[in-house]
Amino acid sequence: MNEFFVAVGLGLCILVFLVLYRVIFGPGVFNRIAAISAIGTKTLIILLVLGYVYNRVDMFIDISMVYALLNFIGCIAAAKYLEMER
Amino acid sequence: MIASSDDIIIKTIARIFVPFIQLYALYVIMHGHYSPGGGFQGGVILGASMALLLITHGYDEVKRRLPEGVVMLLGSVGVLIYAGIGLTCLLLGGNYLDYSQLSVILHVDPAHARSLGILGVELGVGFTVMAIMYSIFFDISTGGILPGDEKRNEELENNG
Repeated sequence: MNEFFVAVGLGLCILVFLVLYRVIFGPGVFNRIAAISAIGTKTLIILLVLGYVYNRVDMFIDISMVYALLNFIGCIAAAKYLEMER
Repeated sequence: MIASSDDIIIKTIARIFVPFIQLYALYVIMHGHYSPGGGFQGGVILGASMALLLITHGYDEVKRRLPEGVVMLLGSVGVLIYAGIGLTCLLLGGNYLDYSQLSVILHVDPAHARSLGILGVELGVGFTVMAIMYSIFFDISTGGILPGDEKRNEELENNG
């Protein structure tokens, strides 16, 4: 079962790098914002999967909650930036 | 310059969320020695809550709640707590930040004194990190120019 979670985590890491391409070269602001929030969601899942690998999910849930929180604040900041651009 | 948002959804969500974010930050600071987290991480979450308030409610509202002088004072007090606990251990005959020496002052056994000492140090680190994160975010968002500082604004305009 442990190998399964490691494989899922590695697959998600590779997907993060694919999305990172959109963040760097993506045309326009909207593609970048969508890609950044996708990376945030993937990181959250990677943290929880790591928690299962180390058998300490209760602690890793704390970190993933912080990550979700910072993601929310980043989303609002991006919306504010778009509002000021207009 | 960040103005107050006129969107009622964003303002209400931020007003409800900010106390919970700060409570969670205190939890992260307090549980630093049992779980991942600690002074720095909790301080960053506290700073993020203030950044959320600054984004949604604008500069004037945040300045009324947490003036810049108070922020700088909090940052300095955090460093004072950290260095003060370290130096107290040094004065009591141990190494710098050797918390077990604090058992003489606190009248508890050395293991308990270690737990309390590391909690105090983490509180100090949390205060400082919160103040500095908030200050950096503030300076970046205003470009270093305060709204009341009209003399400096004029100077900048004259110089192009």
